[in-house]
Amino acid sequence: MTLAVPDLHEERLGNGATVVVAARPGVPLVAARLFVRAGSALDGAGKYGLAHMVSVVARRGAGRRAGPSIDALVESLGADLGGDAEEDATVYGLSAPVEALPTLLGVLVDVVAAPTFPAGEFERLRRRELAGLARDSDEPGVLADRAMLASGYGEHPYGHAVEGRLRDLRRVRLADVRAFHRRWYGPANATLVVVGPLSPADVLGRARRTLGRWRATAETPAEVAAAALAARRVVVVDKPDATQTQIRIAGAALWRASPDYFPAVVANAVLGGGFTSRMVEAIRVNRGLSYGVRTRFAMSRSAGLFTFSSFTKNETAGELVEVALAEMSRFVEEGATAEEVARATAYLAGLFPLSLETHDQWADRLCDARICGYGLDEVRDYRERVRAVSVAEVRDVARRQLPVQGGVILAVGPAKDVARQLDRFGPLHIVPARSVL
Amino acid sequence: MPSASDRQVIDLDRVVARTLPNGLRVRLYPDHQVPAVSFYTFFRVGSRNESPGLTGISHLFEHMMFNGSERYGPKEFDRVLEACGGTSNAYTSNDVTAYYDDFASEALQKVIDLESDRMRALRLTEEALEQERAVVKEERRLRTDNSTFGLMEEQLETLVYQAHPYRWPIIGWMDDIERIRREDCVAFFRTFYAPSNAGVYVAGDVDPEDALRRIEDAYGGIPAGPPVPAVPGGEPEQRGERRAVVRYPAQAAAMVVGFRGPRASHADAAVLDVLQTCLSVGEASRLRRRLVQEELAVSASVAWAWRVDPGVFMILLELAPGASRRRAEEALWNELGRVAARGVTAREVDRARRLLRSSVLHELATRNGIAHALGQAEALLGDWREVGRALEQYQSVDPEAVRRAAREYLAPDRRNVVWLEPGEGA
Repeated sequence: MTLAVPDLHEERLGNGATVVVAARPGVPLVAARLFVRAGSALDGAGKYGLAHMVSVVARRGAGRRAGPSIDALVESLGADLGGDAEEDATVYGLSAPVEALPTLLGVLVDVVAAPTFPAGEFERLRRRELAGLARDSDEPGVLADRAMLASGYGEHPYGHAVEGRLRDLRRVRLADVRAFHRRWYGPANATLVVVGPLSPADVLGRARRTLGRWRATAETPAEVAAAALAARRVVVVDKPDATQTQIRIAGAALWRASPDYFPAVVANAVLGGGFTSRMVEAIRVNRGLSYGVRTRFAMSRSAGLFTFSSFTKNETAGELVEVALAEMSRFVEEGATAEEVARATAYLAGLFPLSLETHDQWADRLCDARICGYGLDEVRDYRERVRAVSVAEVRDVARRQLPVQGGVILAVGPAKDVARQLDRFGPLHIVPARSVL
Repeated sequence: MPSASDRQVIDLDRVVARTLPNGLRVRLYPDHQVPAVSFYTFFRVGSRNESPGLTGISHLFEHMMFNGSERYGPKEFDRVLEACGGTSNAYTSNDVTAYYDDFASEALQKVIDLESDRMRALRLTEEALEQERAVVKEERRLRTDNSTFGLMEEQLETLVYQAHPYRWPIIGWMDDIERIRREDCVAFFRTFYAPSNAGVYVAGDVDPEDALRRIEDAYGGIPAGPPVPAVPGGEPEQRGERRAVVRYPAQAAAMVVGFRGPRASHADAAVLDVLQTCLSVGEASRLRRRLVQEELAVSASVAWAWRVDPGVFMILLELAPGASRRRAEEALWNELGRVAARGVTAREVDRARRLLRSSVLHELATRNGIAHALGQAEALLGDWREVGRALEQYQSVDPEAVRRAAREYLAPDRRNVVWLEPGEGA
């Protein structure tokens, strides 16, 4: 059974910008996204966090409006507007009552096309971001996720958190923010997506009159290379006060538009995706080692990361890693059973429609498809394609994509208790929490 | 506002509502836009129904509900559900325990079988209890013991409530989690998990009459339960500020302030929604401008959740590095005092109404959101028809009502203050 995809009205404007409008029934809200194909992969060495700073400061003054006047206008109409940098793009989102779109579409375009980057706001927001990063060291799970990106991807352009790190943000100047915007932000790199109970002709007309007037020449970003699986190592991020250790196992894996996508999604569901996965069974149900266990393939346009995430009391950190690695090895050697594959495909196919219920979900999906480079036929035929995945394909993808030989085993917890439990899994490095930030 | 289109968002005339002879409330909301269904079961039991020594049993019991019943053995619940294209989860609050299943429409009968079987004949084994006890202890270590906010919130509730069961955390004290026995679980199930204390809320791609028949067949034979014991409501009036300190090796200081508010069924609950929005939702809100943009704090937020009994209006400030604690506190008291003395402007109230309307519409944009909202309205307000009524209530809130509520509920003598002080912990 195929899933109904709303009719898409697409137009390439004279200045090179793309507009996609989807009318669909539902709540009287509209979801608009204006994304630029420039994200944290373009931060550059020593400037991690730059794309993120651009997105944060852009909201603080644009066109003829100062930041407080944008706040007042957007919020007085019951709307929300803000930018989020990702690896391959920066997505500016507007969620608004449908009747507010005519007023706010121009503001959204201004924030992306004509930010004024006020110096005072840049400095204030940089201080706030620095304080936020410092606070992250109080959150063991956040620390673990940040450290996992860096050690899982290594020197790859995706190998740092979008928010950057302390030593880089301290060095970023307003001129860097302006230069990033000048270099990468232009209509040829921009796509506007609008979804809601609206008239496509009307929205296209407004897009021509706002986005269509943006004149700027931006550089086309080069494609990022795929990532390679690094040799096995163990990293302990020392957090002497913690009574629980966060554990991650990560390794470079497939990119989003890879032909392995569907087998990988099914393999992940069997291994650590749902509540009945092997990891949940082994770690939570059979041993009571943790409350939360999951695996996933985090996939961007050019590369991805396989990740295993869990946490346990300090005394059982080694046991948890051992069980997780054993499950991964068993999966690679034996693959999944036909019954497991059948259950996973039924699960994924049954729930897929619930991931596309709202205007926001559709807008995000339309952006993601364009950013990562996959077609909407995948959305339309998702359920058939998931059901078509075979036991052999699952085993094959597990062999090629799970980091059983290499990759990083990462723990955030007290090194004095945890390190000796983990050194048997590979060469051990102990680093202070501050080094991750 | 609310416009005609709002009423179409959740057309209450579509709801088919029936109460079975055993007391089970059944509410069905057909919506065929997506070939999927959301199925909620609300039990009217949460941490407020517990007693000292057994705190956390509602939440621990929630875990036990996934460990097998008469016709479905241990581990089978999720396995069967996933095999027919569904997923499930649950949460426990101060007032309710809610279970949901989201699934492809074809699986309706299977979900009804699974859910009715565990309501009729849950298996409670020692083995499952020990396993879930270990899991819940990890959950507590995650959310409370290793979380600065978790530690502060736990302290705050013990200040705001001297007598009421809202005093203890939903997850329970570690000592009590250790203490709960299988017999306690059996008694808990008999009292609180009977159909007479439950409601089933279904939204999505179903034929209501057909679904109702299936539900009657599956649940009709489950006997009603005993009356649920009343919750002691006594809480002495607060006659002065209360304070506590949490010392923890954190990066920067933070402050959480709580005021006891009205119960969900009180008209002021909606007024406090408006006040919360004026104070902390959006960049143009008062606390964001005064505290964050002036760099006394890196974040300022207000949490105000409706509860059956009077809940907490909670303000959280995360201080900027090097900011003076005294100055941050004074700035907060000044802002609250200003609202209590002079109120807010009509423009601020209008802004709040529009933001709240968008937030309600977002909530009701999914089948899961609608089913949950119906159950929540019935559990907290006594009637599912109260869904979305807040939208109407917001219309009648004016600046004077906001001023009066601020003066009444946020008075200095009603403050409860917890400071997170960076330093070596215990």
